[in-house]
Formats: sequence, C-alpha cells, structure tokens
Amino acid sequence: MTYNDITPNERTMAGALALVMHLLFFVLLVFGVSWQKKQADPVAIVDLWSTLPPLPQPKVETPPVAEAKPPPEPPQPPPKAEPKPLPKPEPKPVVKPDIALKEKLEKERKQKEQETAEAKKRELEKARELKEKQAKEAEAKRLARDQEEALKKLAQQQAAQAAAQQKLIDEYKGRIREKIKRFIVEPPNLSPGTQVEFDIVVLPGGEILGVKLKRPSGVAAYDNAVERAILKAQPLPLPPDPALFKEFRELNLQFRPEQK
Amino acid sequence: MNPTLSHDMSVVSLITGASVLVQIVMLLLLLASLLSWYYIFLKIFTLKRATRLADDFEREFWSGSDLNELYQRAVNSRSSAGSLERIFEAGFREFAKHKKQSGMDISVLMDSTRRAMRATYQREMDRLESHLAFLASVGSVSPYVGLFGTVWGIMNAFRGLANVAQATLGHVAPGIAEALIATAMGLFAAIPAVVAYNRFAGDVNRLATRFDSFMEEFSNILQRQVH
Repeated sequence: MTYNDITPNERTMAGALALVMHLLFFVLLVFGVSWQKKQADPVAIVDLWSTLPPLPQPKVETPPVAEAKPPPEPPQPPPKAEPKPLPKPEPKPVVKPDIALKEKLEKERKQKEQETAEAKKRELEKARELKEKQAKEAEAKRLARDQEEALKKLAQQQAAQAAAQQKLIDEYKGRIREKIKRFIVEPPNLSPGTQVEFDIVVLPGGEILGVKLKRPSGVAAYDNAVERAILKAQPLPLPPDPALFKEFRELNLQFRPEQK
Repeated sequence: MNPTLSHDMSVVSLITGASVLVQIVMLLLLLASLLSWYYIFLKIFTLKRATRLADDFEREFWSGSDLNELYQRAVNSRSSAGSLERIFEAGFREFAKHKKQSGMDISVLMDSTRRAMRATYQREMDRLESHLAFLASVGSVSPYVGLFGTVWGIMNAFRGLANVAQATLGHVAPGIAEALIATAMGLFAAIPAVVAYNRFAGDVNRLATRFDSFMEEFSNILQRQVH
C-alpha cells in the first residue's frame, strides 16, 4: 500500500502554526509580563526630616596625582649668548724693522684685547650656567608644590567624603532612634534620670537579629517597653549604600524617657 | 555583579545572560517544544480527518448500499480512502477471492477474511499512533531537562556568592531567576505535550474501538452472505 496519509499542505500548515504559537508566546512573555516590580515600602510610615539624607555617593575615584596638570614646560634657557667673535687680527702690513717698539706695543695691545675677550666670554658662560641652574631649581620647586597641592586636594576630598559618610551614618542612626522612639509606649511615673542601653545586631535588610539589654534602667517596665519598640521598629531604616552597612551591624542605643 | 537591586529582569536579558550550558538546555527545550507542537497540529489534522472519513464510510455502509459497489469505489479511491474503508476493502477482497473457489469450509473462509482485516487494522492503527510516543517522551523528559538547567544555573549563582562578604538576596536573585527560566521552558514544552498525548491517545482508542466493532459486524454480514 503506497498511500500518503499526511499531505505536504498539512505539514507546512502544522509547522507554521507551531512557529506562530511560539512567537506569540514569546512576544507575550517579553512585552506582557513586567517582572521588574517597584519595590514597595513595606511600612507606610512617613518620616519627617528637615534635611534629606544625602543620596548614596558615587564611588569617588581617587584623582590620580599624575593627572594634575603636566608639569609646566621648563623655561627656555636663555638664548645662548654668542661669544662675540674676536676681532680678527688684521693682517699686519709688513712694518719696517725700525719700528720694533711700535710692533711690541701692538703685540701687547693685541694680547690684552684677547684676554679681555676671553674674560668676557667666561663671564657670559658663568651667567648662563647660573641662569640655567636657577631655572632648574624653580622647576623642581614648582613640581614639588604641584604634587603637594594634589596630595592636599586628595586628602581634602577624602576627608570630605569621610565627613559625608559620617554625616550619612549619623543621620541614619538618628532615623533609627527616631523610628524606635515612635514605638515606645512609656509606662507612667518615670523619673527623668532613667536611661536604658541596648545592644542590637542588625541584618542587612534592616531586620533585627538580636536585642540585648546592656544596662537596665532599673524600671523593668520601661526596659520591656523599649525592647518591644525596637522589635516593632523593624525593618530599621538603613542607608542604601551597602558599603556603609558595617557601621550598622552592631548598634548601641541609649534611650531615656521623653521629657514632658 | 552590581550590588544595587536594579538588575535588568526582562526575559531576553535573562536568557542571554545565562551560562552556556543553561543556554544549550534552553535551546534543546525550545527545539523539543517546536517539534512537539508541530506534531500536535499534525495529529489534530490527521485524527480529525480520520474521524470524518470513518463517519462518512459508516454512514454509507449502513445506508444499505451494495457491497460490490462499495468495494469498487474503495479500490478506485484508494489514495484518499479512510482507515475503515481500507479495512473493508481488504476484508472484502479476501472474501471474494475465496468465495470463487467453491467448496471451502466456511470457518476457514471467515478466518482468512478476518486475518486480512486484522492486518490492515494493525497497519492503520500504527499510522494513527505515529508520533504519539514522541509527545509522551517530551512530556515526561523535558521537565527533567529544564530542572537540570536550573540546578546548574543555581549552582553557578551560589558559587558566585562564595567570594562576597555580605550575601544579600540581590546577589543570588538574578542568577536564580536566570536558572529558573530553564524550568519554565521545560514545563512550557511538557504541559502541552502531555495534554495532547492524553487527548490523542483517547481519540485513537475510540477510533480503534469503532474499527473493531465494524470488523465484527462486517464479518457477520459476510458470513450471512455465504449461506
């Protein structure tokens, strides 16, 4: 029996339908499903702050020292003072032998002239050397100054960064304290001097791993109220930069009753 | 890895960002899915047609038309004949051949007729059941293949975590999401294959029952003709 049950038409049709199905599904998956959900704040509490906490600082790249301006061009050495061409000794006309004295005088004069010219030359050279030396010294000085300035700048920047970080850390510590404070339900009749100290271990998400009463206030009710408040304040507000988290891993917090 | 939680989580980036082995697994699953859908559509067409042809032939057969005429028509339109028509043709040919040689035992005659029909029936069933095995294996294997890709991807995600001091969920989540795509694809390939397999197996079974009962009834009719 030589029959063909499946017609080629059906084959192409089935193939095309399968392709269309997959394409449709893929398109639906890509454009229909948005998996990037906006992170909703789990606690709907509005924190009121006079200043906004600074945004996470972009990683400060240390300004490379070498980059700070190429050292200025060394000052051009002054154009070489060309030694004056010696006055050419003119060829003497042959003088008569009877004027020997004159000749002698002439000779002396010539020698003198030569000497003065040499001295002049030496002097000029000396001056030039001196000038060059000075220029070199100035250049070295300037380089050193530049370097020093760059270093100073870097140090300043680092200090500023550290200060900003410290400010951020302090702000967030303040926020944590504020948040906890909001949850404290104070027992009545507290003496104003009461103070309680807690050690808290915090997890990266702001959850609290452990709360330890470090120094009790002496009023057990107040201690308990604060501990409950700490647990209630989860998740604690933490700075968005994870590099700062190590400052918040272990917190030591002190609380005293609100002054009425 | 960027510790901020702003990873691109679109499907395309998840697929392109996966490791090579996971991508191979995903490609494999995509091929399996494409092929299984191809067979699903093919089977839908062929089974629908087989049912329609069987309906047509049964109606014609039971409307009391002449068996010889039916036989002639079946022989002429062999290429477009349905399974039932072919079974009928094989049985009637065998019956007519033996009937010419008179003096044959009736039980022997009926036996050979039935054997001829049975052979055609087997062939037709084989044709109807073709590719169902493929759907069954896609349905049962592709979840495992996808799971393998996922396990591999998660292993990688956790290995990347080994040299991070502070392990946050943000470090592992993208890797796990990437890996889970493989499982999703495996399920995507498997679920339609399983559903289609069950559906088609049921359809083929019902057709087989119809063929069987037709064979029995036709044998009875033929036996009555001998007398």
